[in-house]
Amino acid sequence: MADLGAMALLLGLVVSCYAAAASVLGEKMRIAELIVSARRSIYMTALCAAVASGTLIFAFAENDFSIEYVANHSNTLMDRAFVWVAFYAGNEGSLLYILLILTVISSISIWVAPTRLERSMPWTIAILAVIQLFYFAVLTLSASPFELMENVPEDGRGINPLLTHPGMFSHPPLLMGGLIAITVPFAFVSGALIAGNFGDDWVDVARVSAIIAWGVLGIGMLLGAWWAYTILGWGGYWAWDPIENVALMPWLVMTAFIHSIMVQKRRGMFRMWNVALLNIAFVLAQLGMFINRGGPVVSVHSFAASTLGMIFLSFMLASLVFAFALFLWRMPALKSDRNMESFMSREASFLVNNFLFLSVMAITLWGVLFPLFSDFARDVSVTVSAPYFDRANGPVLLGIVMMMGVGPLLPWRKASARSLKQWFIWPTAALLLIITFLVIAGIQRPVAIFAFGVVGFVAASILEEWWRGSYARHRNGDNWALAWWRLVNGNRPRHGGYIVHISILMIGLGIIGTNFYQQRTDGAISLGESLVIDNYRIQYIDRGDDSRPDRVAQWAEISIYKIEPSDYAYEFDLALSQGSNGFTLEDSTRRKNDKLIDTIKPWHGFYLDFNMASVRSGIRSTFIEDLYVIPRDFLNDGRVSLAVSINPLAWWLWASGPLFIIGTMIALWPQPAVETRPAKKNTKQSPAES
Amino acid sequence: MIATHTFPYRARVTVLVLFTIMSAIVTEACVREEDISLEQRAYQLSGELMCPVCDGQTIDGSNAQIAVDMRLKVTNLLQEGNTNAEILDYFSDRYGEEILAAPTGKGFNMLAWIFPALIVTAALGIALYTIKHMKSSVLNNEPKSSSTGNISIKHTDLSEYLDRVDKDLGIKKDSTIQAKQEKEDEEEN
Repeated sequence: MADLGAMALLLGLVVSCYAAAASVLGEKMRIAELIVSARRSIYMTALCAAVASGTLIFAFAENDFSIEYVANHSNTLMDRAFVWVAFYAGNEGSLLYILLILTVISSISIWVAPTRLERSMPWTIAILAVIQLFYFAVLTLSASPFELMENVPEDGRGINPLLTHPGMFSHPPLLMGGLIAITVPFAFVSGALIAGNFGDDWVDVARVSAIIAWGVLGIGMLLGAWWAYTILGWGGYWAWDPIENVALMPWLVMTAFIHSIMVQKRRGMFRMWNVALLNIAFVLAQLGMFINRGGPVVSVHSFAASTLGMIFLSFMLASLVFAFALFLWRMPALKSDRNMESFMSREASFLVNNFLFLSVMAITLWGVLFPLFSDFARDVSVTVSAPYFDRANGPVLLGIVMMMGVGPLLPWRKASARSLKQWFIWPTAALLLIITFLVIAGIQRPVAIFAFGVVGFVAASILEEWWRGSYARHRNGDNWALAWWRLVNGNRPRHGGYIVHISILMIGLGIIGTNFYQQRTDGAISLGESLVIDNYRIQYIDRGDDSRPDRVAQWAEISIYKIEPSDYAYEFDLALSQGSNGFTLEDSTRRKNDKLIDTIKPWHGFYLDFNMASVRSGIRSTFIEDLYVIPRDFLNDGRVSLAVSINPLAWWLWASGPLFIIGTMIALWPQPAVETRPAKKNTKQSPAES
Repeated sequence: MIATHTFPYRARVTVLVLFTIMSAIVTEACVREEDISLEQRAYQLSGELMCPVCDGQTIDGSNAQIAVDMRLKVTNLLQEGNTNAEILDYFSDRYGEEILAAPTGKGFNMLAWIFPALIVTAALGIALYTIKHMKSSVLNNEPKSSSTGNISIKHTDLSEYLDRVDKDLGIKKDSTIQAKQEKEDEEEN
C-alpha cells in the first residue's frame, strides 16, 4: 500500500525532471516532439500525484495504521467523513495535497492555454515542471507521507479536535490551493518573458488564472475567519497571526495585480509593473510556505513537527533570484505603449491603489519580521500582534477603501473638472450625510464614523454608476432588473468587480462594527440565573452531557430574552458604579417587557489525548448584531462560566462571501465579443510568426 | 500645483472647507479613556497582553490558567485606579517586553512604528512621481513621432475630447458614449 504511494511520488519526481529537461532541450534544439512529450509529462505528473493522494486517502479510509502519517492523524473513533480532512491535516499530507493541486492546475492550464502562446509554452512548461520537481523531491526525500511505523499501533492518535468542523473541508484546501495557484500566472508570464514574447498575448491567461487564484485564496481566508468565529471560541475572526499574514500578503499583491492588469489590457501600460507584481506575489507565496513549514515565528497554525524550514527558505530565495533576474534582464522590453495623461485618470488611480496595497503588504511583512530584527539587534524578544497591525494597517486599509470609490469614477485617460463634479457630487453628499447623521444620532468613536462615511461614499459611487447605466437602458424599454443585468453583461470585468467591491464594503462594515462597538461581559451562573448586557438577558436553562470515549463534553441550553433596559435600571446603575456594563441576575422571574427571542446551545468539550479544549459558541445572529456566547467552562459546582459579547454588524462579514464569489465569477465569465476577435486575428498571424 | 488644470481653485477651496468641517465634527465626538467602563477597559487591555504559555495568543483569547490569573490581575489593577499605560508597564516589568502584544513606541521599538509611516509616504511618493514621469514623457516623445503619426494622434485626441464634452453636457447621452468608449477601448486591445 505505502509502496504504491511512494513509487508514484518517485515516478512523479523522475517525470517532472524529464519534463523540465525535454522542454528546454526541445526549444533549444527545435525538436517539436520533445516539447510535446514534455507537455504530456506534465499530465503524467498529475496522474502520479493523484495516485499518491488516492493511496493515502485509501489508507486513511482503511485505518492502515502501519503508515506513520495515518497513525498520527486519525483513529477508529473518528467520523469517516474527516478522512478527507486528515489527508491534509499534517505536514506531509498537506504538502502532498499542495502538489496534487499544483500538478492538476498545471495540466489544466497547459491544456486550455491558447495557441497564440505556443512560442513561450516550452518555458512555461519548464518552470511548472521545476516547481513540481521541488515538491516531488521534498515529498520523496524529506517529508514522505508513506513512512512506515516500526510497531503498528492498535489505534491511531486521532485528528486534532479543532479540525473537526465543516469549515475544515473547505478552508485549508482553498487556502493552500489559492497560494499554490499563483504559480500558474507566474509561469505563464515568466515563460513569455524568457521566450521574448513581449506582446500582450499573455495578458488574458495571466488575468484569468490570477483572478482564480486570488478568488480561491480570498474565499479560503474568509472561511478561515468564519471557522475561527464559530469554533475557536475567542470571539474574534482575524488575529493577524503570522500564518494569516503570509496568506494575506500575496492576496494583497494579487489584488493589486488584477486591477493593474486591466490597465495593460485596456491601455497597453504598466507592463513592467504587472510583471513585478506577479513576481512579488509568487515569492510571497513561497515565503508563506516557508513560514508555515518551520519558519522562525510563533503561530497557532504552524506544523510544529516540520523541519523543512531551510529547504523552503532556499527555494524561496531561489525563486526570488530567478524572478527578479528575469525581470531585470527583460525590463527594457517592457515599455508602456502610452503615456499617462493626467493625475485625474483611472490609470493614475490604479497606480495609487497598487502602491497602497503594496504598503499594507510591506507593513505586514515588517510586522512579521520585526521580532527577528529585535532579537538580532538587541537580544530582546518582542511580540508584534493584532494591536500593532490594527493600528499600522487600519488607516491604509481605509485609504484603499476610499480609492475603491474614487478610482472607478475617474475615466480612462483624463477627467475634466466638470465630469469630476458631476460624478463626485452624490458620493460626497452620501459621505457627509452619513457622518452628520451618525454624529446627530449620538454614535461615538470618530474614526468609525468616518469609516462608515467612506463605506457610504463607495457604495454611493457604485449605485450611482449602476443607476445611470440602468436608467438609460430602462428608458429604452427594459424593466429595471433587465436593464441592470444588460449593463452588467456589457462589461463583466468591470461590473463583476463592482459586485466584489460591494462584498468588500460588507466586510468593512463588519470590521468597523466588531472592532469599535463590541460590548462584552462575563460571569459564572447557576441554573436559572441570568446574565444581562445591553438589551439582552440570557438565562441558563438546562445542561446535558455529550461525552465520548475521547472527550468530556457538555452543552448548556440558554434562553435569550430581549429586554427593556429601563426595567433593569436599578441593576444597571449598580453594575456601572462597580465599573461594569453587565451583571448577573439571580431572580429568574420575567420582567414586564422581557421577550423570549431565541434559544442557543453552546457546547464545550475537552479532548483528553490532545489536552485541548474545543467549543461551539452559541450565536444569535441578525444583520444588526450578533449575540455571541462562549462557554468557557463547566464548573464543578454546577455553574457555567460564560463570556458574552455583542458583535455589531458581524453578520455582514459572512454575508459578503456569496457576493464575493458571484462577483468574481461574473468578472471571469468569458466575454465573447472581446475574446474571439483577437483570437481570430492571432490564428492568422501565428503561421507568419513561427 | 500638480493638478491645477483639472481642479479649479474654487473646487479646491470647497474640498478644504468640507474637510475642516468634517474634522471638527469628528473631534467633537471623541471618547476618552475615562469614559469607558472599567470592565470594557479590562477587555481592551487583555487584548494587548500576550499569554506567556500559548503560541501567539493574547490572554483575552486564551483559557490557560495563567491567562485567567492575568486577566484577574488586570481587573484588580484597574480597580486600584491605574491607567492603561501603568498596567502595561506593570506586566512588561515582570514578564519582559514580550508580554506586550504590540511593541512600545520607545527606543529601538520606535522603528516598528516609524517604518509603516515611511512605507506609506514612500509608496505614495513613488506612485505620484511615476505618474508625473509618465506624464511628462508625453512632451518628450511627441516631436519624435512621424508626421502621419502626429496627425492620427491629434485626430483621436480630438474625438476623445468631443466625447468628453458630450458626456459632460448631458447625462442622457451617457450610455451611448460609454458604449462607444468601451468599443474604442476594445479595439485598442
